[in-house]
Amino acid sequence: MTWVTWRQYRYQGALAAALFAALAVVLLFTGLHAAHVWHSALTGCAKNGTCASLAGSGLSLSSPAFLTLVVATSAVPLLPGLFWGAPMVAGELEAGTHQFAWTQSITRRRWLAVRAGWLLLAAAVLAGAVSAVVTWWSGPDNALNADAFQVNRFDITGIVPAGYAVFAMALGICAGALLRRTLPALAVTLAGFTGLRALTALWLRLHYMTPVTVYYKLTAIFTPAGSYLGISQGWVGPNGQPPVAGPGNYGFGGEPVPAVCEKFMSGLKPNPLPCLMAHGYRGYVTYQPASRFWAFQGIETGIFVVLAAILLAVTFWVLKRRDA
Amino acid sequence: MKSAIETSGLTKRYRRVTALDNCTISVPEGRISALVGPNGAGKTTLLRLLAGLASPTRGRATVLGGPPREEPAYLAEVGFLAQEIPLYRRLTAEDHIGIGAHLNPRWDGESVRERLAHLRIPLDRPAGTLSGGQRAQLALALTLAKRPRLLLLDEPLAALDPLARQTFLAALAEAAAGGDLTIVLSSHLIADIERTCDHLILLAESQVQLCGDTELLLAQHRILSGPRKDTTAIARAHFIVREDTTPRQTTLLVRLNGPVIDPAWAVDEPNLEEIVLGYMSAGQAGHGAGPAGARLSAVGGDR
Repeated sequence: MTWVTWRQYRYQGALAAALFAALAVVLLFTGLHAAHVWHSALTGCAKNGTCASLAGSGLSLSSPAFLTLVVATSAVPLLPGLFWGAPMVAGELEAGTHQFAWTQSITRRRWLAVRAGWLLLAAAVLAGAVSAVVTWWSGPDNALNADAFQVNRFDITGIVPAGYAVFAMALGICAGALLRRTLPALAVTLAGFTGLRALTALWLRLHYMTPVTVYYKLTAIFTPAGSYLGISQGWVGPNGQPPVAGPGNYGFGGEPVPAVCEKFMSGLKPNPLPCLMAHGYRGYVTYQPASRFWAFQGIETGIFVVLAAILLAVTFWVLKRRDA
Repeated sequence: MKSAIETSGLTKRYRRVTALDNCTISVPEGRISALVGPNGAGKTTLLRLLAGLASPTRGRATVLGGPPREEPAYLAEVGFLAQEIPLYRRLTAEDHIGIGAHLNPRWDGESVRERLAHLRIPLDRPAGTLSGGQRAQLALALTLAKRPRLLLLDEPLAALDPLARQTFLAALAEAAAGGDLTIVLSSHLIADIERTCDHLILLAESQVQLCGDTELLLAQHRILSGPRKDTTAIARAHFIVREDTTPRQTTLLVRLNGPVIDPAWAVDEPNLEEIVLGYMSAGQAGHGAGPAGARLSAVGGDR
């Protein structure tokens, strides 16, 4: 069955390898360039003692086009599921070739297990390889901008892309087996994958672990170290509630200024902070610390892999119970 | 004689449609059985149930000593060729031979190469580029290479030209000559396969109308013709399958329960096609299809 799978997918496999090689070459050159820029900037700032402000210095490590290309690799884990997964069962049913395959001396279970197994592995390897290159490419950028934990960086580096790819593949296979048509299965895979990715990236991920909240004096803004994942930030009053703007509707640093401190909002250099502090106002930041990066990578990968396992179990059940 | 196929009350329903209704048949080992009937009669459904590709709603089937099931041991014994002649369009004949070799315990890939060489069908071209007839020949060769004990062929002649049909049927007869192989092949035309088959299953409107050895069926049926007259006397003694009446003459297809004594009737032996058409039109006319089906499935005599 392994041989059979190889025979049927070798051209697709070669195509994927070629596309990966092309991407890797582009990223290798731009990545080397970025690393070079980064290191000369580090050397330069060490001489001037300006390394602390390097992040805000407008230093650009690579052109926006390549940055877009790197962000676009977030689609890579979807592609094997879309183009190999969705047609895996549905394509056979549409062409009628399942009647050939499933009347050889092999059970449908084994047919599915071997074929799905290799495709899942191929998807994970492809996404993992792209992720490895992207992770290396992102090194200087993460160091400069501390964005390893941000959406569109977290999602294309580390091990999560492999988890996404496994999920997309299982979703494609399962949708194909249920719907028995490639095109609808393709649509379901696209929608399901995009939906779940958006849901996890924008909402679920913030809550994998209880976030850390730090309160700080308004005059000494606290910024968490490294590439943290910010959840919320602002002011709270003595009652623990955020401030409510007074009748003058003033704002300071994006926060409303309550009535008691409004009188400090006039003049050339308004500064309500001492007043606010005197009235018990504090700043807070709620975030997931940078140290949790790999734990979060593991949790998110786990979620997608478990969902993939459920989808595959459904596929086995469908193939066993339904008429071919 | 041992039965290769034995079904009782086999029924398959899809949502609203009953594709096969209460099908009870028996095919002895070593027969070449023609599964005939109009389009939509349930031939494909029956073959798919026997191949284990579908499971029955009711009733049961015993094929080669057990129920059709999804087990390598069972699948190895049964060769199935679907009507669509499914082949992987991008793979060559040689690829298909390789697939068969990897998925079957007894695989005779050399026989496929020989057959294709004989038919001048290239081994190294994608199946999608072969002609319909070439694909059918390749698919049949692959099905035979499994060395099954039961061969289920769904409309295998549809894609073949008349000459290829002859070659194809000759190959089937040759394969069955050993006596171990049982073949069921469906067709909606009996004329094509009449000479090759020694057993007949007639389905119409999802029900079995006839099942038995062709010799027996031929011996049991007669065409009676005579001046127009009352047929009640005949109906009392025999079963009238079909009655055609013109103002001057009456023609009957009857299943005999003994000799026809009345000298007013001219008695002729029908051929298989006439019998089949008689039952098929009787079924369509709507009289007696149900009870006739139930009664006549017992015609398959030699159990």
